[in-house]
Amino acid sequence: MGVLDLFKRAASPVSRRFSNRPPPAEELFDDEFQRKLEMLAMVSRKVFAGRMRAERRTKKKGSGVEFADHRNYTEGDDFRYVDWNIYQRFGKLLVRLYEEEEDLSIYLIVDCSSSMAFGDSKKFDHARRLCAALAYVGLANLDRVTIVGVSDGELVRMPPTRGKGRIFKVLNFLRDLEASGTTELAETLRMFVAQHKRRGLAVLISDLYDPAGFEGGINMLRFNKFEPFVLHIVDNREARPDLKGDVRIYDCETGDERELTVTAQMLEKISEAWRTYRESIERFCASRQVAYFAAPVDIPFEELVLQVFRRGGFLR
Amino acid sequence: MHLAGLPLSTLLTLGAVVGTLIVGLYILKLRRRPVAVPFSRIWQQVLRDKEATSLFSQLKRLLSLLLQLALVALLLLALGDPRTKQNLVEGRNLVVLVDASASMKATDVEPTRLDVAKREVTRMIDGLGGSDRMLIAQMDASIRPLSTMTNEVADLKHALEQVTASDTRADFLRALSFALDSLRGLGKAEIVVVSDGALGDLGRINRQLDLSNVALSYVKVGKSSRNVAITEFSVRRYPLDKSRYEVMLELTNTNDKPVNTELTLLGDGNIVDVTQLSLKPNESLQRFYKDLAGASRTLEATIKMTDGKPDELPADNHVYALMPERRRARVLVVTEGNTYLEAALLLDEYLDVEVIAPQKYPPAEKFDVTIYDSVAPPHDARTGPALYLAPPAQGSPVEIGKPIDMFGFDTWDKKSPLLRWMELGDIQVAKGFTFKPDKEQKVVGASELGPIMVSGSRSGQRYVALSFDPRESDFVLRVGWPLFILNTVNAFVEEDSSYISSFKTGEVWRVPAPSTTDVATLTEPGGKRRAVPVKEGRAFYLGEHAGFYQLEAPDAPPIRFAANLSDMEESHIAPAANLEIGKKKAGSLGEFKVGVRREIWLYLLLAVIGVSLVEWLTYHRRWTV
Repeated sequence: MGVLDLFKRAASPVSRRFSNRPPPAEELFDDEFQRKLEMLAMVSRKVFAGRMRAERRTKKKGSGVEFADHRNYTEGDDFRYVDWNIYQRFGKLLVRLYEEEEDLSIYLIVDCSSSMAFGDSKKFDHARRLCAALAYVGLANLDRVTIVGVSDGELVRMPPTRGKGRIFKVLNFLRDLEASGTTELAETLRMFVAQHKRRGLAVLISDLYDPAGFEGGINMLRFNKFEPFVLHIVDNREARPDLKGDVRIYDCETGDERELTVTAQMLEKISEAWRTYRESIERFCASRQVAYFAAPVDIPFEELVLQVFRRGGFLR
Repeated sequence: MHLAGLPLSTLLTLGAVVGTLIVGLYILKLRRRPVAVPFSRIWQQVLRDKEATSLFSQLKRLLSLLLQLALVALLLLALGDPRTKQNLVEGRNLVVLVDASASMKATDVEPTRLDVAKREVTRMIDGLGGSDRMLIAQMDASIRPLSTMTNEVADLKHALEQVTASDTRADFLRALSFALDSLRGLGKAEIVVVSDGALGDLGRINRQLDLSNVALSYVKVGKSSRNVAITEFSVRRYPLDKSRYEVMLELTNTNDKPVNTELTLLGDGNIVDVTQLSLKPNESLQRFYKDLAGASRTLEATIKMTDGKPDELPADNHVYALMPERRRARVLVVTEGNTYLEAALLLDEYLDVEVIAPQKYPPAEKFDVTIYDSVAPPHDARTGPALYLAPPAQGSPVEIGKPIDMFGFDTWDKKSPLLRWMELGDIQVAKGFTFKPDKEQKVVGASELGPIMVSGSRSGQRYVALSFDPRESDFVLRVGWPLFILNTVNAFVEEDSSYISSFKTGEVWRVPAPSTTDVATLTEPGGKRRAVPVKEGRAFYLGEHAGFYQLEAPDAPPIRFAANLSDMEESHIAPAANLEIGKKKAGSLGEFKVGVRREIWLYLLLAVIGVSLVEWLTYHRRWTV
């Protein structure tokens, strides 16, 4: 930040400097929130009982308890896995093969750019609550949950963790996240895929306000064998901003400025452009079989999580 | 085009300063309120559409600045007061004399002559040129300026609204004198007379005033002369029988045609007499009502046409008179015996006379008047005003001079109320003496040898002294003797037998009032009350309206009196076609054009308002932003 930027920041109106201030962290994940998380975990088990066990099976054969197949004994095989009953009946040395159980890696990628904290920071809070809820459900299902905050082309990472007991670590991590900087999804997620060799479900929680285009980030996940799940944080108030008259608008992330006179006609056009942008995201995801879910800030997070469960793709 | 206001250099300086200020403010105006948006890309499509017209937008913004600069330019130009060459000529200075005399109440033009006169003056005001100035004055018995010399239309119209007609004649001489004084030293001076032309003796004006340096214009108001008036109305009690009275009135037909009229005499509002009268063209007819009796205090006379056609000047159709209230006066006569004196006092039944010998003086009771016959005892406050007949040197209120004989009245004050209706020149006196009055004392009558009748005041009480015993003359044998006694008593008890008639409007009235006060309250016929000054027992007031008045003073009973127009000149309502004073003939007025104000600054200001409106509209319609 140069001297001129400092001067600009100091000269800017009070509302501009403090509008992004988040609510106190303790309010974000209070007791009520944690009770709702527990309820979601129970609901998730009930809904998916029978077909969606806590454990995920992979096609790998290994040391699991579920029998999969037999194969001929070869040197070096563990004698413990020789099926002596077959040998007794058929005189062949066959080795029992078991399906190897493997935990799923869930990556919860939270957009921490300035646009997420725009206005009253509701989008950022909403994103963090959703992230916490999904993480809890994942942890409860013994999945490996990794949370990544992305902003300004950089990553802030919480190491993979598993088990419900780690939820407080998750909450603390989310509390410490701050919204600032620009959205550079393609660049950031390129770093993400490079750092995370273990593929899995990548839940992108973002408003997708990327000046370079939201497509780059999602494609980065797709092309690197991650299973992207787009949780689009939407604030409908941004469709029709409360503006009138002669103003100088500036982008809260990039600082790009434009002078214009806002009229009712122009607001209509803005609203139309906002809807078009949102539809383009939805269309992009649908055409590429990318799970997409819009999460308006005015719908409670627990309701949204349940909708996510019903729709599928997050838990299987 | 010339600038009559601020000079060009000043205007240019002002223009530079204000223009710079406006441009500076305009640049500041372009600074807009910063507003954050979450994602400017969404705005880009809309902003691209705007960019297509950005050049036009800039031009429109420039139009806003140009409009504001145009406003400043117009205002500065207005300050410069630009005029065309022909408008730079010196403006006229006008004094408009609006006739508000009684004749202007005539209804021969709708609604009255005065209203038509006001309309004419309004037309003049509307047609005033940019440099013209006007003063409006009301002309009746007095001259009353109602505005300053100004060209403010609102002020002049407000002044004109205040003009009201009175029941007086117009004092044209005084009005012209005022107009000349107002116009002294001013260029293009002009006097405009808006009147019906009933303006009195114009020859006298010509002799007294020099009108050579001013233009004189005459605006005639009125068209006909159908009017019958009561031009005289007089009522009096008989001096020697004050319970009875007589009425004299005069009717005048100012029309050129004969008229039939009905005359009604009212006493205290009740009809006393109704008479049908026929008057020939321009005839004056006198009527007497003799030996009327009654307790009426107010007398009124009215006339109306019997042919059903209206009289065009109602103001002179009604006259008023008031007879003074009769009250009993207590008179003390201190004498050894004087038959002539006692006989004279017997003539007035309203006098309670008590005769006492000088030895019994002072009396125990209070008296209104005391007559000392050849005695002059020490003054007593209870005896009131006094008449001394041949007072001895000891106790005389006036210093006694030399004795004289065989003399008479050679000079006397004919206006003195003591000597009303009397002729003293024939009186022969055998012997007496002269008085040596001081400066405070007034000589009422004198022979060639010295003063013989003196009046004055002592201890707040008035007195009259006669320097001879009437019985030593033929005075007591003449009719003037009882008149003198009764006049003196009446003067002392402030009951003036001449008072029973009425005052004439348009003159300064000297109304008898208690001498103990300096200010009295006068109630006009319309109910309006005003304070009037009182000096030496008289209240002074310039009366302008006919009707009954009431004068009130502290610690004294109210005094009522009447006033009438009774003016033959005002009753002649035929308007004069021309106004000619000596050889100077008033011209007609033709220079005023309604609605034309040749002041360009006014139109510049209107243009400023127009441009402001355009700027406002274009701003709020978002055309210039």
